[in-house]
Parts: sequence; C-alpha cells; structure tokens
Amino acid sequence: MNASTRSIRSLTAGVLVFLLALGSAAAHHSTAMFDMTHTVKLTGTVTQFDWTNPHTFIWMEVLDPAKGTTESYSIEGMSPNYLSRNGWTRHTLKPGDKIGMEIHPLKDGRKGGFCATVTLPDGKTLRNLPGRSNPEAPAAPAKNY
Amino acid sequence: MRSCIVVALLGALATTVAAADGTKATQATKGDLPGTTWRSIAQLPDWSGVWELDWQRTGLAAARGGMPKLTPEYAARFQKYQEEQKTGKHLQTNTANCEPPGMPQIMTQPYPVEFLFTPGKVTVAIEAYSQMRRIYVDGRKHAEDPDPTYQGDSIGHWEGDTLVVDTVGLIPTSLIAPGIGHSDQMRIEERIRRLAPDTMEIRTTIIDPQALAEPWTATRVYKRHTDWDLKEYICAQNNRDSADPEGRADMNLKR
Repeated sequence: MNASTRSIRSLTAGVLVFLLALGSAAAHHSTAMFDMTHTVKLTGTVTQFDWTNPHTFIWMEVLDPAKGTTESYSIEGMSPNYLSRNGWTRHTLKPGDKIGMEIHPLKDGRKGGFCATVTLPDGKTLRNLPGRSNPEAPAAPAKNY
Repeated sequence: MRSCIVVALLGALATTVAAADGTKATQATKGDLPGTTWRSIAQLPDWSGVWELDWQRTGLAAARGGMPKLTPEYAARFQKYQEEQKTGKHLQTNTANCEPPGMPQIMTQPYPVEFLFTPGKVTVAIEAYSQMRRIYVDGRKHAEDPDPTYQGDSIGHWEGDTLVVDTVGLIPTSLIAPGIGHSDQMRIEERIRRLAPDTMEIRTTIIDPQALAEPWTATRVYKRHTDWDLKEYICAQNNRDSADPEGRADMNLKR
C-alpha cells in the first residue's frame, strides 16, 4: 500500500440486482445520492472514524498519484448496530491506519461515497454493505422502498 | 364458508406446530384473559430474545413482501410521486431526517425487536429509532377517538399461541410504503406466532378502503438471535443525510 491507486469498474449484473434489492441499504435513507452501479477503489490513510448512529463515517486522505496531491474523502457506512454484529468494533479503524476501500461514489462528484468493503492494514477484508447469501432470491422492483 | 374451513385448517395447523414445538397451550384461569396475570403469562409461548426480520438472505425489499393494490385515487398519487422522483424530489422520506417511520414500516426495519410480556400488555421494544409499541391484551376496546400517533392505538388478544393485534389511530405520515399514504380509516391486523424455536411469522393485513383496493396481507419471517441484545439507536447522533422538505437527497461532508 505504498502508492495510492484509484480505479473504477463496473459491477456484475448479479451484484447490481442485489443492490437494487437492498434498496434502502441503511434503513433510514435511500441510496439515491450514491452511484450504486459503480465501485471506486481507494487506498489511503484514515484520519477519523465516527462510530455513530445512524451511520458510521470514515474520513481518509487519498493520494492521487497522477497529480501527486492528497484528497480528503468522507465515506458513509452501515450503523454501529449492524456492523458490530458483523465483525466490526469501534476499534476496527483508527487514525493513521493505511487501508484499502471499495466505495460507491457520490453522484455529485464530491469526494465521498458509501463504503462497500475495507481492507485493513493486516490484509484482512471486511464487508461493510450487506452481502447477499442467496443470489437466486428474486429482487423486488421498488428501489426506494 | 370456504374461508371458514381454511381458517379452521390453519388453526389446526398452528396447534400442531405449537405442540410439535413443545410450547404450552394457553389455559387461562376462568374469567382470566391470557396474558393478564403473571400466572397466565407463564403459560404463553416463549418469545424471549431478540428477533430480526429475515432480510439479509434476500435483501430488504424482498423481505418486506411486495406492494399493495391501490385505489385509483391513491394509485394516481403514487404515480405522481414516482414521476416527481425523476426530478430529484421524494428520493428520501422523513426518516432521512430521523423522524421514525411509525406503523406499519417500523416493524420491517433491518434491526431487531424484542417482545416483553407484563400483565395485560405486550410491549414491543424496537431497536430502529429506539421506538416502543404498547399492545394492550387486557380486554379493553380501542380508544373512542384516539389521538393519531406513530405507533397507533393497539389492542390484542391471544388465540392459542398466536397474538392477534389490531391497530388504528395512525398519523398521516406513517406511510404504508414510501409514496403510499393512508386515510384515517386504516386498520392494521397482525397475527404473530412462532413457527419454530428461532423462527417467528408475522402476518400483517392492512385494511384501508380509501387507499387500498383490497386488504393487503404480507407474511414476514423473523429470526431469533440468541447471542444479540437490543442496542441503542439515536438517529440524531450524527445524521449527515438530511433531506430538504421535498425529499431531495444530500450528504453533509463537513467535519
């Protein structure tokens, strides 16, 4: 994780179906402000981790290798209630940690998004956005339901 | 007639399931409604622990179980709502501003609930938005003219191992689903029973002749998590997703 990288790739149709089925991923709001059809990979250094309801927030400095400058990103995550039942604690991230992250970026172009996965300094990857264990289950039509 | 037979068969099935499950049938003392004394509570099925809508396998929308059939008036309203969503309005509901959803949607959040039995009352403690429902099982009728509230006026009674709950008196903002409101005639019936030690079924029927073309029943499954406790959920703690009055989505990135 010496150089920060940034790349965009499309998700497979199956994952997209899941995201649509997930709808209001975070219970209290829809995912309308995020581009859930794309994933951006970031690597950078954590500056702050808010272990708060209704959402966790990860603040990180990301180096843009092309420009040689760092940019501040604000990344929303699932609630501590959800995450603490799925392998996270309030100590999972701390300022100074060098981490990798997959996010669904904000549509308006600002430096932020919704966290899908985090790769910790020890190389372990934790999912943030819920995974779907049954890909055969039918997706519901309403996105904002 | 046919529906009577179906009901009878379902009742027999429920009894069989309960017996196979090892739960005790409710036998209240004479003149004593089930759940109104500590003694009769001891004979009720064991619903201890916390129960989560079974949404993580299928996604939240699928677990919530589809959409009701609307009357022409409410269908037209919903169509307008969906068209306005294309312009950026209504992408969020009031919950983005931390207003609790109220009934019925408070029962289908991706967070667990807990059932507490005390004499004459079943209290549902709900993790999402730190909410609470009070279901009176002491034989009272609905309040004559209840003040509209988020959780409504709920009365219930036990039919064997099934808790039957009737709820009226809901505020207009307690939507059936985003974009689908209700009239002051809305009534919600819930039939809650355990199917297996760690599996609960809640069959929810919404009746509203002004909003719904026909009663809408959704059957949802909840899973017991023996190693979970309810946690605090204070939405105002760090809400960065507030929506404007027209429901436009935003995210506050200021530290």
